[in-house]
Amino acid sequence: MKEQRVPYRRTFVRLLGFLGPYRWSLAVSVALAVGSGLAAIGLVWVTKDVIDEAIHPRDERMLWIFIGVIVALGTARALLMMGRRFISGRQALGVEFDLRNALYAHLLRLSFRFYDRHQTGQLMSRATVDLQTVRFFLGYGLIFFFQNLLTIVGVTVVTLVLEWRLALVALAFTPFLVVLAYRYSHVSHPILRDVQQKLADVATVAEENIVGVHVVKAFAREEQEQRKFERASESVFGQSVQANRQRAIYVPLLAFVPLLAQGSVLLLGGWMVVNDTLTVGQFFAFNLFVTMLIMPLRMLGMWIGQAQRATASGERIFEVLDAEVDILEQPDAAELPAGPGRIGFEAVEFAYGETPVLAGIDLEVEPGRTVALIGHTGSGKTTVASLVPRFYDVTAGRVSVDGVDVRDVKLASLRREIGIVAQDPFLFSATVRENIAFGAPWATDEDVERVARLAQAHEFVAELPAAYDTMVGERGITLSGGQRQRLAIARALIMNPRILILDDATASVDATTEAKIRQGLREAMRGRTTLIIAHRLSTLALADELVVLDRGRIAARGTHDDLLTTSAVYRQIYEHGLLEREFAERVEATA
Amino acid sequence: MRVWQPGSHLSMARGAQVEDWSWKRTLRRVSTLARLTAPYKARTALALGALGAATLTALAPPYLAKLALDEGVRNQDFGLLVLVVVAFVVAGALNLGASSAQTYFTGWTGERILADLRKTLFRHLQRLSLGFFERNRAGVIISRLTNDVDALDQLVTDGVTTLFQSTLILIGSATILFFLDWRLALATLTVTPLMMAGTAAFRVYSARAYRSVRERLGLVTATLAEDIAGIRVVQAFTREPASEENFRGVNSRYRAANHRTVVTNGLYFPFVDFLSSAATAVVLGYGGWLYFHGQVSEGTLLAFLLYLSNFFDPVQQLSQLYNTFLAAVAALDKIMDVLDEEPELRDRPGAVELPRIEGHVRFEGVRFGYGDGPDVLHGIDLDVPAGTTVALVGHTGAGKSTIAKLLARFYDPREGRIAIDGLDLRNVTQESLRRQLGIVPQEGFLFAGTVHDNIAFGTPAATRENVARAAETVGAHEFVERLEDGYDTQLQERGTRLSLGQRQLVAFARALLADPRILVLDEATSSVDIGTERKIETALRRLLADRTAFIIAHRLSTIRDADLIVVLEHGRIVEQGSHAELMARQGLYTSLYGDWAEVA
Repeated sequence: MKEQRVPYRRTFVRLLGFLGPYRWSLAVSVALAVGSGLAAIGLVWVTKDVIDEAIHPRDERMLWIFIGVIVALGTARALLMMGRRFISGRQALGVEFDLRNALYAHLLRLSFRFYDRHQTGQLMSRATVDLQTVRFFLGYGLIFFFQNLLTIVGVTVVTLVLEWRLALVALAFTPFLVVLAYRYSHVSHPILRDVQQKLADVATVAEENIVGVHVVKAFAREEQEQRKFERASESVFGQSVQANRQRAIYVPLLAFVPLLAQGSVLLLGGWMVVNDTLTVGQFFAFNLFVTMLIMPLRMLGMWIGQAQRATASGERIFEVLDAEVDILEQPDAAELPAGPGRIGFEAVEFAYGETPVLAGIDLEVEPGRTVALIGHTGSGKTTVASLVPRFYDVTAGRVSVDGVDVRDVKLASLRREIGIVAQDPFLFSATVRENIAFGAPWATDEDVERVARLAQAHEFVAELPAAYDTMVGERGITLSGGQRQRLAIARALIMNPRILILDDATASVDATTEAKIRQGLREAMRGRTTLIIAHRLSTLALADELVVLDRGRIAARGTHDDLLTTSAVYRQIYEHGLLEREFAERVEATA
Repeated sequence: MRVWQPGSHLSMARGAQVEDWSWKRTLRRVSTLARLTAPYKARTALALGALGAATLTALAPPYLAKLALDEGVRNQDFGLLVLVVVAFVVAGALNLGASSAQTYFTGWTGERILADLRKTLFRHLQRLSLGFFERNRAGVIISRLTNDVDALDQLVTDGVTTLFQSTLILIGSATILFFLDWRLALATLTVTPLMMAGTAAFRVYSARAYRSVRERLGLVTATLAEDIAGIRVVQAFTREPASEENFRGVNSRYRAANHRTVVTNGLYFPFVDFLSSAATAVVLGYGGWLYFHGQVSEGTLLAFLLYLSNFFDPVQQLSQLYNTFLAAVAALDKIMDVLDEEPELRDRPGAVELPRIEGHVRFEGVRFGYGDGPDVLHGIDLDVPAGTTVALVGHTGAGKSTIAKLLARFYDPREGRIAIDGLDLRNVTQESLRRQLGIVPQEGFLFAGTVHDNIAFGTPAATRENVARAAETVGAHEFVERLEDGYDTQLQERGTRLSLGQRQLVAFARALLADPRILVLDEATSSVDIGTERKIETALRRLLADRTAFIIAHRLSTIRDADLIVVLEHGRIVEQGSHAELMARQGLYTSLYGDWAEVA
């Protein structure tokens, strides 16, 4: 993802915007936080009074009254805190919920162009790690910040009122603690992040070794692998020790600094008590107030670091949220009208940024016909096919289905009429049935079985542990390439599309399976317009017409016989010795 | 602060279940940990010493505050006050030094132990036979080295320290409180049972709540990962609205689970605060009454209040520790299970080095099955003279790859024997066998590293010229040269930067460079573009020259060029011979051939 620096403050303010819908509950939690903060300060204040007004004058009645006040204040503080936690907790979860939904919804709308540029891992890291950082900050960080600030301000004011000279001495340590805590967070964070990165490296080495165990064993490379792993593991150790060293310096220091303040309160406060300028109760109170400040001050320092990281994460999330949705429906887009399934390309050009991919593509595919797109890797076959369901928009020219420009119709109505089988089909972690009915969740069991039979998938599905209810995909059982292919074909067929796009649907299967799939395809293609991206000659045999693409242009088109005489590119492909023989044999066989 | 890792969400939803609490097992756990700590005795001792010192110095300040008030202030002895405050600061400084040393030494030792554990575990995995890796999912094995070691990390670095320190502080504070005034101490500590009961209840509820949060968050992440990976399908089938709704559902179930943690936390933490107010009330009320009767000093009251402000932290920390502890024990058990695995194949005591082989391979009545499973090979007899190219053909599951694995001695046969140049494979060392054996798997597995490293994978001593020559011979040189850094180009994880065909050529170059006497090759089924296809054919021909080769064949050209075609069906050899012979027979081969012919 491109690093473009957005002004820090703007990102921060934008992040706060997510709190907008929760401003009322935010206001209530702030009020409750103020209340519980005051109660906490009140508790120390009352302690002072207990000493000075009850214990010293030996007034037992007053003692019990004050104890009553302490219990009351303690109860009030607990209740206010409880309320604050319930309300702000709910709000925090709400913000997280909204943010996650917004991100997901946006990801759904981004086009293939976006996904061509961004890897899954990268996007996932934004949607998980960065989102976590932001939600923690917005959900808990802010309110804690406020609460801590409130305690600090409150204690400062109260101690200054009590005895300003002692207060100045006692509070002198506060800036140091904040700075120290901030520095710790600032210094340790990159190291801790690095530790995580190095741990991820260890995981990568381990994964490679274990997934590639056949190769490792076959080449008897266990020793070298061990060394590689140890290097990775040692660098985790080195970095962890580094992190640990920071911890060993900062954490004890963070405990030591407030102790200096307590010491000075003991000394100066004690001296003042001796000189009768401070009461014993106030001496108590100062000791307790200093203790009370330690946590908030440390948190404040860490909070600054947290806010910085959250803003950085926020920037990365906004990069996704701000990514332009480039495939948009026209405001007045209509449903794709009914039709036989004619596909038209008129002077189509397409470029990726500055890189031209397709130029001057003119192609008309008659309803019910099958056209095979052939050419070398990078010749533009897949791009041509991707323009029909409008996964990309043309740079110039137009693509039409049944005479209507694909940009003028509703996306859903267009894509519903196009069945697509990709080269390496993706199945979801769901049952076989759900996968087949992916585009038509309303399909009946009979429909599912019918298309599965058509796609020659029924036979193997029936043998799965739970037949159509077997879980497949990443969290289910692993299917072979050929089996996934056939499910993908069934998935495309259940939509009963006018147009089929097959991206070399038989590339990764063995010969016997391929024969089965081809049989399924022949059934499936009946009555539909089909575009096939082909590598194998046997696939070409399914086509009525062949279109040879070369460097983004149509180099030739026609039947096999035409092309042999007219197209050098095709001849080159065809003359591949093997194919020639096979063709001859098959002609014999059918003759 | 975690970095997202592919597949990490799959192992996220695991709970800590410890099944076996028997003495024997517990003893073994302890001895495993003790063995790991043993080399670092000195540092461990230092860490423990520093820990004791840090705890003692941490306990001193409140008591010194009491002294300051009672002896210095009350007696108007300013000199003594200064002395006590100096002691107060010195205690703080000693604590600074001791906890610094303690943090450093514990951290160092802990990390060292983990690094050693990872190393031991990895070394053990390298020794295990292929069967182990085929029985267990890769993700599970990887997670032993990553997630489980991390779970131990929490215990080793933080947990142990917290356990000792919190316990010491609890006992220390309580002792001092009793020493100061046993009646007041007894009265104040009455809140402790309440605290413990509350904490125990909280622990149970919050552990349950967090488990379901983890599980549901795992589901959120898994859904997200899957939908991003499958976004093209989602869009192609216009499933956006349904996916969005599904995600909202998953997300809101996660929110609901999380809401329970808000409730448990929202009840518990204010409760703890309330208890501390209650304790303050007890100290001041009962303490005040005792003061009236001249039983305690003001300084004692101050010390009580200050001790109490730190008293509840250790209780809470100790109870939090329980979950860490459970997770760590569960992880340790899983790691120990792996360490207990014995390699199924070991070199025999008298195993000899396999001398340079000619390549005459014999299978004699070989019967084999995986684990306790049924036989997958039933009496295979096969005689392959040196230099022969054998094509193994048959349907999926006919036993082709099993034969290849037996030849590499990844497994031993149940019955019968496999011999190379007349030597039974079980009588030679695995290392000497595999050094003379080249294996090319289907997908041409590449490791992260340079192209050079990948080609020289089996022969690290190879010079740049050797590597280039091997690449040249298989026709990979041309495209490697075109990569931005030539042979020094870094390949990404699993070589995704190269096309399928290019990966295969690199794998061929790797095998050629290793120059094995016997080659086992699993031909890729995936088709590549036609130019590359032709290159692969040429490369293959060069690779096969002058050596015995077993090919699990998918390409028609390969099959037809083979010297011997072995047709397998249900673990038996049903036909063998040359292409012409088999075609003449009109058997299984002829019908299989029909399929290929159409495809190719």
